[in-house]
Amino acid sequence: MALLAPIICDNGTGYSKIGVFPTAIATRATASTTGRGGPPPPSKPGHLASKRGIEDLDFYIGDEALANSKTYGVHYPIRHGMIDNWDLMERYWEQCIFKYLRAEPEDHYFLLTEPPLNAPENRENTAEIFFESFNIKGLYIAVQAVLALAASWPSNKTQDRSLTGTVIDSGDGVTHVIPCADGYVIGSAIKHIPIAGRDISQFVLNLLRERGDTANIPPEDQLKVASRIKEDYSYVCQDIVREFRKYDANPQDNFQRFESVHTVTGRKYSVDVGYERFLAPEIFFNPEIYSSDFLTPLPEIVDGVIQASPIDVRRGLYKNIVLSGGSTMFDHFGQRLKRDLKNIVDQRITNSEVTSNSTIRSTGVDVNVISHKRQSPTSFPIVTQRQNMRKSDPAFVDDMRSSEVLLSVQLVEKFLCT
Amino acid sequence: METSLHACKTVTTKLIGLRKRTAFPHTLTDKATKPSFVDVHFVDFDGVRFHITSGDKKTLLRLSMSIRCWDELVAYGAEEILHREYGQYLSAAVEPQHNVTLDIDIDQLPPEGEEREALIKSISLLKRNVLAAPFEKAFKQQKELEAQGNGTGQLMAIHYRDEEAIYVIAAHDRVTVVFSTTFKEETDRIFGKVFLQEFVDARRLPTIQNAPQVLYSSRDPPLEIRDVPGLSRGEDVGYVTFGLPINFPRFLFPRHFNNPDVAESTISHIQLFRDYLHYHIKCSKAYMHSRMRHRVSEFQKVLNRAKTEVATTERRTISGRTLVTR
Repeated sequence: MALLAPIICDNGTGYSKIGVFPTAIATRATASTTGRGGPPPPSKPGHLASKRGIEDLDFYIGDEALANSKTYGVHYPIRHGMIDNWDLMERYWEQCIFKYLRAEPEDHYFLLTEPPLNAPENRENTAEIFFESFNIKGLYIAVQAVLALAASWPSNKTQDRSLTGTVIDSGDGVTHVIPCADGYVIGSAIKHIPIAGRDISQFVLNLLRERGDTANIPPEDQLKVASRIKEDYSYVCQDIVREFRKYDANPQDNFQRFESVHTVTGRKYSVDVGYERFLAPEIFFNPEIYSSDFLTPLPEIVDGVIQASPIDVRRGLYKNIVLSGGSTMFDHFGQRLKRDLKNIVDQRITNSEVTSNSTIRSTGVDVNVISHKRQSPTSFPIVTQRQNMRKSDPAFVDDMRSSEVLLSVQLVEKFLCT
Repeated sequence: METSLHACKTVTTKLIGLRKRTAFPHTLTDKATKPSFVDVHFVDFDGVRFHITSGDKKTLLRLSMSIRCWDELVAYGAEEILHREYGQYLSAAVEPQHNVTLDIDIDQLPPEGEEREALIKSISLLKRNVLAAPFEKAFKQQKELEAQGNGTGQLMAIHYRDEEAIYVIAAHDRVTVVFSTTFKEETDRIFGKVFLQEFVDARRLPTIQNAPQVLYSSRDPPLEIRDVPGLSRGEDVGYVTFGLPINFPRFLFPRHFNNPDVAESTISHIQLFRDYLHYHIKCSKAYMHSRMRHRVSEFQKVLNRAKTEVATTERRTISGRTLVTR
């Protein structure tokens, strides 16, 4: 029998991306429920013999779990990208494979992902579950950042398949800056930034509140409205002061209105969308406008990460900075990052030239940021599908990993051949 | 034991989740409302592969399926069923490396509503319908034999997996379906055995007395298929190493297929029996694992309690510096 397609399973904190190689990827919420409002089984006292019923089969996962949250207890088996509750995760995979993929795991190879700096124990546990519970044929656990680098190749026909680069992965909870050299993560240089999607939404909400615009919005929807504004209206500006002037000079063109319907009463409401359009993603570049304890701008962090990496890979890291994750999808994010980073690097070079009385002449460093638009490989139709879905399904914006996973073709091939 | 309860639920033929094909109709519904280019591969149980592509036009949708036992199914009348179910959509030019191809023109679809829903549902049941051929044939044969009053029908073997097969035999008073299953792992074999034993036991419960009779035997194939050549038996020395095959017949009585709706759902259920069994074996293992994890954490608590407190006294050198042990 011909080899069946490998199954790809990328479990993130908020969303799981599951599918069959190479094209079908479905996004589902990473949520799992347990019995009717009861606590998860491990915390329940009692022994095997005293257990009756089939509670361990009575659960939903993903979007169905959220839909059933009124009668079932919702749990999130993954926290901060790491698997937190193995019991729930095992059952999550159970339904993923049998119910959603309708695949017999014994017939398939699997590609799973793990966050950088994942503990070896976690990896072992995952492999143990997959081999012992599901009897799978084979498994490859790839680091998400490395897959993101592979995803940045313009097409699967690209000759230059470099796995050296810096990945900026910004999801809902946390932002990582991860340097990779030849497919290996330089663990000692990784930096985490406590600013990510949720903070941007919160910042937008704060701005709305300060202006008093939240009066129109039903309280339970406020954060959701803020995140919709973030997703649909925001962009990164190149110069704040000029942007403010532009808005003041020509408010009609720049201010927009967000309209929505109250989910319960059906009443329409609308909110003005103003400066937050460009201020929201600005917290990456000027964190002081949002947070009082974290003040380093993202370009400086990226520069620091690369400077902390071995000297012989630094040029490669500057040359290939890959954006990944929903919170880096703002328009012009890449341009701004590239410009700011270039300024920092050039400044350092000029400084060293000045201090050495121009005896040292260094060649300029090539800084290159690969943003999402440039990551659309024409050979993978799912990407177009994703872009189509973007506007209609806001949840999809948070999901950039799907493309990373798709593009791990070579990795899968490599591992199937060995 | 847990498995017994799993089994009870089985006999009431409640397939948890497995019956639903969620992703697929979704795609079709989406495509029907807003056509776009697609090229998607996906799989189903038992090595069935699907491929959806949009043809030269956005509005054309081509669904191909490859299934392992196609030739056998054709012999048992799969093509008639396909013609009955899909008629005009059936494509004469089958995509290479596939067995069935359906061409769907989205412009020609019935208007949104029940009719379209029904069509989408029927397309999403492609694998089920193809695999239903031998069962439908057997049900028909049973009717003929019933009129005669005795005799048995043709034995139909469906080699739907590499080492496993379904045998369907019609008799004048029942249709017998035999699954041969092999387990790759010793653990699976044990779980499977307990699980299958529970089928027999569960039938004693008063609420499910009317369930179809289930028998199972390890090693020896049941009488109905004993003379099929090439059947693997436990005596095969080479076989024991890979795991013992367990053959068990599942009798279907006329009650299960005289009513067309019941017959349909019986076919749908019985096809998924193997997947259902394996799902539950895996669930049982997962359950065991969670018990083990729970137990380990309990033991760890005990061990942590047993730790003796180390008396810490500050030791100083003569010059007054503190000694630190590392």
